Amino acid sequence: MKSRVPYVFLALGAALLLFGSYWGLFIAPAEQYMGNVQRIMYVHVPTAWSWMLAILWAFGCAIAFLSTSNMKWDSRMEAGVEVGVLLAFMLCCQGAIWAKPTWGVWWDWDPRLTSVAVLLVASLGIMALRSFVDDPHRRAIWSAVATIIASVDLPIVYFSVKWWNSLHQQQSTPNTVSSAFYIPLRVNAFGVLFLMIGFIWLRTRVAALRLRQETAIPHGYEEAGELA
Amino acid sequence: MNGVIQGGWEFVIAAYTITGLAFVIYGISLIVRLKELRKHD
Amino acid sequence: MLTAALRKELLLQWRTRSQMMAVFVFGATSLLLFSFAIGPNAEMLRTFSSGFLWLGLLLSSTLTLAESFHTEMENRAFEGLLLLPSDARALYYGKAIANWLQLTLLGCALVPVMVILYDAGTTALLKLLVIIMLGAAGLSAPGTLYAGITSQVKAKQMLLPLLLFPLIVPALLASVKATSLVILGDPMGQSKAWITLLGAFDLIYWSLCGLLFGRVVED
Repeated sequence: MKSRVPYVFLALGAALLLFGSYWGLFIAPAEQYMGNVQRIMYVHVPTAWSWMLAILWAFGCAIAFLSTSNMKWDSRMEAGVEVGVLLAFMLCCQGAIWAKPTWGVWWDWDPRLTSVAVLLVASLGIMALRSFVDDPHRRAIWSAVATIIASVDLPIVYFSVKWWNSLHQQQSTPNTVSSAFYIPLRVNAFGVLFLMIGFIWLRTRVAALRLRQETAIPHGYEEAGELA
Repeated sequence: MNGVIQGGWEFVIAAYTITGLAFVIYGISLIVRLKELRKHD
Repeated sequence: MLTAALRKELLLQWRTRSQMMAVFVFGATSLLLFSFAIGPNAEMLRTFSSGFLWLGLLLSSTLTLAESFHTEMENRAFEGLLLLPSDARALYYGKAIANWLQLTLLGCALVPVMVILYDAGTTALLKLLVIIMLGAAGLSAPGTLYAGITSQVKAKQMLLPLLLFPLIVPALLASVKATSLVILGDPMGQSKAWITLLGAFDLIYWSLCGLLFGRVVED
């Protein structure tokens, strides 16, 4: 339980992120059309990749919990959902900051940004549901069900918004990543990935400890007894 | 998009600051929560 | 078994039909209020009419969905239902179909209100009915599942929309698009694509939610 591995991940992730960001900010050349604004990409895209992994992790944990009923998976899922909220929130902020100088508006109805926002709200709903249920077993089942339903929604939201957007305006997204931009992008991708792993690991510990204390003291069982 | 977007450093700085702050604050909150829970354990 | 569950739900709904009337008045009131947000601009109101119709239906749906487990929870009849030698799935589909019919009825009732308030008439009534039925199905499948969860939680009025609204974004988007194409004209023949999307959404969630409902009510 007291392994130091998550802290190693955090330190390694922070170091990589600092190094990659330094490279991206000061060594890599400014992009041909986007100028310096394009440097946001070096944190934005890695955050997006890690966010998708966090959602996938939460989805996998939800399925694992429903098929094994092992509370370990519940703690892992709780961690995945919360870290997913953190990353999605950052993605929305970075996306808005990128959109303003490039397209002149803070919010552009880009399918990726919109799906992130939708899933951010859905994840917050799952966290709210968890906070309102006192019985750990019911909380685990219900939030696993909600997580599966929300994750399945992600591709549907993405494609419907993409469709909706393309039918009324064509958005050109500069996606040309030439070799000069690879190094900071890759370094930062691993940096954010390691940070995410460290966070999920530590957050799982928090969830597991809380669960142990919850079940040790029979507190909050009055309501559960009423329903059952 | 015809010309190069001039400047824009303030946006870059804002994006990196938000990212860094979010990571640091979340990390601190995790460690605080862990400490708090271990105290009761 | 499914027909028995469905008959029970429909009977319950028929006995509380005054509630249905109240929900309709709520929906019509929200349609009236939306027009104040735009102002007396007939052209704009007509353009946004389908969006308002679906938002009105969505807001009303949280009321009807939240009510759909109310009777059982209040009288503690739910455990009794689960003890019956039946599938939880039959119970779910009975409720979901009943909610679907109710929302379809509500949607059809709101259409004349929309036509009068926003001057958004159409002659393609059959197509409009199909869209309303598919859209209502998209709301009721996850809505019934989440109502089953939130009816057992303290803050149910708050949690149901919080969980449901982000989820049905694709269904809402497709319904609004298809409806507005029906009302404003569809020179490119795009509405078929949106109806297909709605159908796919319904198919996914009607099967997935039925699969998961058994876990929600177990123990």
